[in-house]
Amino acid sequence: MEFAPICVYLVISLLFSLILIGVSFLFASSPNSAYPEKLSAYECGFDPFDDARSRFDIRFYLVSILFIIFDLEVTFLFPWAVSLNKIGLFGFWSMIVFLLILTIGFLYEWKKGALDWE
Amino acid sequence: MFEHDFLALFPEIFLINATIILLIYGVVFSTSKKYDYPPLVCNVSWLGLLSVLITILLVASSTPLTVANLFYNNLIIDNFTYFCQIFLLVSTASTIIMCLGYFKEESLNAFESIVLILLSTCSMLFMISAYDLIAMYLAIELQSLCFYVIAASKRDSEFSTEAGLKYFILGAFSSGILLFGCSMIYGFTGVTNFEELAKIFTGYEITLFGAQSSGIFMGILFIAVGFLFKITAVPFHMWAPDVYEGSPTLVTAFFSIAPKISILANMVRVFIYSFYDPTWQQLFFFCSIASMILGALAAMAQNKVKRLLAYSSIGHVGYLFIGFSCGTIEGIQSLLIGVFIYVLMTINVFAIVLALRQNRFKYIADCGALAKTNPILAITLSITMFSYAGIPPLAGFCSKFYLFFAALGCGAYLLALIGVVTSVISCFYYIRFVKIIYSDTPKKWILYKTMDREKSLLLAITLFFITFFSLYPSPLFLVTHQMALSLSF
Repeated sequence: MEFAPICVYLVISLLFSLILIGVSFLFASSPNSAYPEKLSAYECGFDPFDDARSRFDIRFYLVSILFIIFDLEVTFLFPWAVSLNKIGLFGFWSMIVFLLILTIGFLYEWKKGALDWE
Repeated sequence: MFEHDFLALFPEIFLINATIILLIYGVVFSTSKKYDYPPLVCNVSWLGLLSVLITILLVASSTPLTVANLFYNNLIIDNFTYFCQIFLLVSTASTIIMCLGYFKEESLNAFESIVLILLSTCSMLFMISAYDLIAMYLAIELQSLCFYVIAASKRDSEFSTEAGLKYFILGAFSSGILLFGCSMIYGFTGVTNFEELAKIFTGYEITLFGAQSSGIFMGILFIAVGFLFKITAVPFHMWAPDVYEGSPTLVTAFFSIAPKISILANMVRVFIYSFYDPTWQQLFFFCSIASMILGALAAMAQNKVKRLLAYSSIGHVGYLFIGFSCGTIEGIQSLLIGVFIYVLMTINVFAIVLALRQNRFKYIADCGALAKTNPILAITLSITMFSYAGIPPLAGFCSKFYLFFAALGCGAYLLALIGVVTSVISCFYYIRFVKIIYSDTPKKWILYKTMDREKSLLLAITLFFITFFSLYPSPLFLVTHQMALSLSF
């Protein structure tokens, strides 16, 4: 039930941002002033030199994969953190083992150079 | 809490620790400038072999004659898991032995593939001893994830990448089906533990239009389909030939050896112990017939060695399912004997394929005139092929004979008949190898380099076993009988 205000809030913020976008259309001086030069891509004033397509850097994938892994780690940490006073030492050490395994993965990435960004 | 459980899981704990240490060792030294960035793959594979051997010792030294439920009934250790785990570890060790030379020749410097093989071995150990649907699924997923990575490990080969992608998509699909089956079972019974499922399903008529729940029927059906995907039984086999052909040869060897043991062990545990019921047997009955027929017919048209071996493994899964669809003690026992002998023969064949791969041993015709250039290897290959085909004094004959015998014993005459007929048909392509070796003179003579000592030892041991198994088969029969008994009661 606590989610109802959030849903209302979502709708209101959507409306509000639509209004903000729409207002500038209302007050723009000359709406049809889009000439070809204005529509061309901005490349520091020059015409584009070559094809806009380029090789995608694999490091972006690496970073996003690492993010997913450590994001999941955090997901597991939340319930552990709130229930630490109930699960005792055994629960504590189980999570430490989990973290240790993840840390070893992290160490592997580090030594392999997945985190280097030239 | 759990002190004895950790003690019982000592082999797995050791293997995980060894894998982690190998990973760190490999990555630290292979990126060190001081040692000039050494390729550590041979080093790591020897150490990995050592840790697998130590794990075998650890498993074997625990007393076999006990039943222990571990971690709130999530895992079980009994006679069945004991022998299956030892057998799995032995086959992993022999795969690693096989690929020692491979890395050197291929200059494949990814020591991670060994680490992944060890990790998947560990997950297969868990799979064998899984006693809960969740534990089973997690173990299967860990194993499959490792497999997807090593299937695509050769990045500069398009075939390997394609194989990895195909394997990943179909593997994920089959895992999804399996998981849906598990959730149906859980939704309609409220338990995931195998023992409690067995209690619920005793005397439970699971028929689709019967008095009982059709949800449970669907759950069992989906679990069965998921498993059939994993074991490459026929209606769900499409990925196997491409994946087997595309992935690097050592990975193919590992795929066709180790998971067969663990998945069959898991299937037997689920379907014989938990869901013991004649309804699912019809499914396996059908799959068995279809696999045998397709394995026999499709392999005839193959020219490539690895593709042929893939179809031959599909056919052998069909033969193994004969024992499975009987569901009697003899059936399970013959299934286990069949797995054991199949794995040994496959180790032998893949050791040969890896030994002959100097000049791209890709087509069957490439082994022409092997009888002149390397007569002993020619004899080895011929004997193994005869054994695959099921020619009498060899081990393959014993396994097939015992499977057909079990089928006759439980009244499945059709299975035995089709088994014999397809076995005769499949002789054609097994014996074609022998014909090419001995009577073909190729235009281009291919001279293969001598193989290394490890592979030759492996070949000698497995060949000795295959040849002389029928003289003294009682140990294997006793062990498998014990395994089948411990499963049923």
